[in-house]
Amino acid sequence: MFVDFFYKLREVGIPATPTAFLTLHRALQKGLIMSLSDFYTAARSILVKSERHFDLFDQVFAHFFEGAELPDAEGFELDEIAKALLDQWLADPQTVADALGEDMAELQKLSPEELIEYFKQRLREQTERHDGGNRWIGTGGTSPVGHSGYHPGGLRVGGESRNKSAVKVANERRYKDYSKTGLLSQSSIGEALKRLRNMVPTGPKDQLNIRESIYRTMKNAGEIEIVFDRRLKDRLKVILAIDNGGYSMDPYIPVVQTLFNYARSQFKELKTYFFHNTIYDTLWEDPARFRKPKPVMEFGRMDPETRLIIVGDASMAPYELMAMDGSIYVHERSGRASIEQLRFLAETFPHNAWLNPVPARMWPYTRTINIIRQIFPMFELTIDGLEQAVDQLMAA
Amino acid sequence: MTESREKQGYFTGAKRYVLDDELARIVNISMSLEMPLLLKGEPGTGKTMLAHAIAENLGMPLIVLNVKSNMKLIDALYQYDTLTRLNDSRFGDSTRDVSRIEDYIKMGKIGQAFTADQRTVLLIDEIDKADTDFQDDMLDVLDQMEFDIIEIDKTVRAKYRPVIVITSNAKKDLSDPFLGRCNFHHIAFPDPQMMRKIISVHFPDIDTEIMNNAIDTFYQLRELDMVEKKPATRELINWIRALSMDPDFKPKQLAKGEIPYLGVLFKKSQDYTIAANQVQRKRRF
Repeated sequence: MFVDFFYKLREVGIPATPTAFLTLHRALQKGLIMSLSDFYTAARSILVKSERHFDLFDQVFAHFFEGAELPDAEGFELDEIAKALLDQWLADPQTVADALGEDMAELQKLSPEELIEYFKQRLREQTERHDGGNRWIGTGGTSPVGHSGYHPGGLRVGGESRNKSAVKVANERRYKDYSKTGLLSQSSIGEALKRLRNMVPTGPKDQLNIRESIYRTMKNAGEIEIVFDRRLKDRLKVILAIDNGGYSMDPYIPVVQTLFNYARSQFKELKTYFFHNTIYDTLWEDPARFRKPKPVMEFGRMDPETRLIIVGDASMAPYELMAMDGSIYVHERSGRASIEQLRFLAETFPHNAWLNPVPARMWPYTRTINIIRQIFPMFELTIDGLEQAVDQLMAA
Repeated sequence: MTESREKQGYFTGAKRYVLDDELARIVNISMSLEMPLLLKGEPGTGKTMLAHAIAENLGMPLIVLNVKSNMKLIDALYQYDTLTRLNDSRFGDSTRDVSRIEDYIKMGKIGQAFTADQRTVLLIDEIDKADTDFQDDMLDVLDQMEFDIIEIDKTVRAKYRPVIVITSNAKKDLSDPFLGRCNFHHIAFPDPQMMRKIISVHFPDIDTEIMNNAIDTFYQLRELDMVEKKPATRELINWIRALSMDPDFKPKQLAKGEIPYLGVLFKKSQDYTIAANQVQRKRRF
C-alpha cells in the first residue's frame, strides 16, 4: 500500500527510510488512521524528519492524493525564468522585445498569463543549452535577460550573480531559512564550535577523585581520606581576525557578526582583531582600525597553541597581496608583501583556518582566494564549513 | 466522540494549552506507536508546554530531563553514590547496608520514568544542547526501554512505557539514527487568529481592545528587520500581563504607536535598541 507514494517521496529527494515506511503501516494496521487528514499528519510526522522537506512533502501529497500536477524541476525553473521575464517586461518592454527579437507592439497585445505562456514556449524551444552569446536567453551571455550573465543594467533570472552588478534578483526561495547552507544563527554556530575546546583543570578543587580517594584511604589503613580535583574548564586561546573593511565584505556583515557574538560569549581567551582586505604590518584591536594597532611581528611571541581563525572574503586586487608596497594605506609599507605576513602568521600558529563567507563554488573565479588557500586551509562560512574548520583546528 | 477518546487515553488538549488538530493527531499516533515525538520550532512556540499539557490532560506525572551541554547519558539514567557508601563503610551509622550497592544507586530522570508505578510523560528538553553521542546512546535506551546498571549487573526495564516528548531548538538536523526512531513535528509560529485563541486561554477576561491592539502591534514588531531574537508567544503573554497590570495603560496608546515595556518583548540589548528606534520613528510620522 502506498508504495508508489513512498518512492515518489524518495524520488523528489525526501530521505524517507523503509523502516519509517513500515512504521507508517503499523499505524495503519492499528486503525489509528481514519481519514485522509489523519494519513497526512501521520505520514508526515513519521516519514519526514525535517521541516525543510515539509513543502516538498505537501507537493507530493497533493499530487498523489488529489491529482495536483507535480512541478518537475525543469518546469519549475522555466516558471521562474518566465515570471522574471514578465517582471522585466513590465519594467522595460522594449529591451525584452528586442532580446526576443519580437515586435513590442505585438507582445503588448497579450495578457500577463498569455505572456508567461509565450515566454515559456520560447524558452522550451531552445533544445540545446545556450551559454554565452548576446541574443538568446541562456546562461553566461551578455543578453540583458538570462542567467548569471553580465550586462550592466541586466536582470538576473535565478542563480547567483558572479559579478555583483545585476539590478535585481528575481527569484525568491521560500524555505531558505531552513536550508543547510543558509545563514548561520547563534545556535547553529554554537553547535559547530562545540568541539573547539581544550579542557584544562581550573577553579576550586570541588570534584571528587574516586580512584585517588580509595587509594589514599587504603594507604591510611581505612581512615578515609577524600581527594578533590579541580574541574576541567575550557581554556582554549583563540585569535579571531575579521576583515571588516571595504564594500566587498558588506553583504556578509550579519553572518560575521553572529559568529563574532557567539565567539565572544563562548571563549574566555578570545582576542579579536580587524583588518581590511588582507594583513599587512598591523592588525587592529578596534573595529575602526585606527586607535589600537598591533604589529604583526608581535604575534610571534604568543602561544603557538593558540588557534587562529581568519574571516574574510579574500577577494582583492592581486597586487594588494603580492606587491611589496601593496597596501592601500600609505603608512603600512614596511617592505614585506602581505603574502609574506600571512605566511608568517600561518607558521606562527600551526592551528589555523580561514573562513570565507563567499560560497565555495565561487572561489575559483577570484585569483587571490586561490593564492590564500595555499597558505591557509579555507572553509566556507556555513554550518558545514564551520564544522570542517573545527576539525582542522583541533587536529593534532 | 471526544468523551470516549479521553477515556481511552487520547490526548485532546489542556486547560492552558491551545492545541491544533494536526498536533493532537500527531501526539496520539506517537503514543500508540510508542515512539518518541521530536518537536522542533522557534523558541517560545510551546514545545515544552505541550509535554506539560499532555501530562495534565492524561493525568500522568511529568518527569523533565533538562539536557545540559556536558551531560553524559549515565547522569540521566542513574547515579552511584560512592561518597556516601565510602562514608557509611567507615562510620557505619546509617540504616543502609554497605554491602548492598543497590542502596547507593539513585535513579536519574530516565531511570525514574522507567521505574515509576504508572505511565509517565518524559520530557527531554533541548536535546540539541548535548553532543551527538549522547543523543544516539539515549535513543538506544529509549528504543529498548531498558538499561544496565553496571555496578550491580542489573537490568532496569521500564514497567510502563513512558510517553516521550523531545524538544530541540537547533536548526541543525539531529543525526539520522536519532531521527529514524522518532516521529517529527515542526511547530510553526501561530498565525494571528491562533494567537487570539492562545491569549484568551491565558487571559479569560481580557478586554478585546487590549488583545486586538496588542496582537497587532506584536506581529508588526516581529516583522522588524535585523532583530536577532524575535519575540515569541511567551514574550507576548508576559507583555500582555505587564500591560494589564499597569493602571495607567490605555489600549489606544498601542494604536498610536506607543509601546510600553518594550524590554519584555526584546531581551537582547541590540534588539532592544533597534526596536526602540523603529518605534520612535513610527511615532514621528
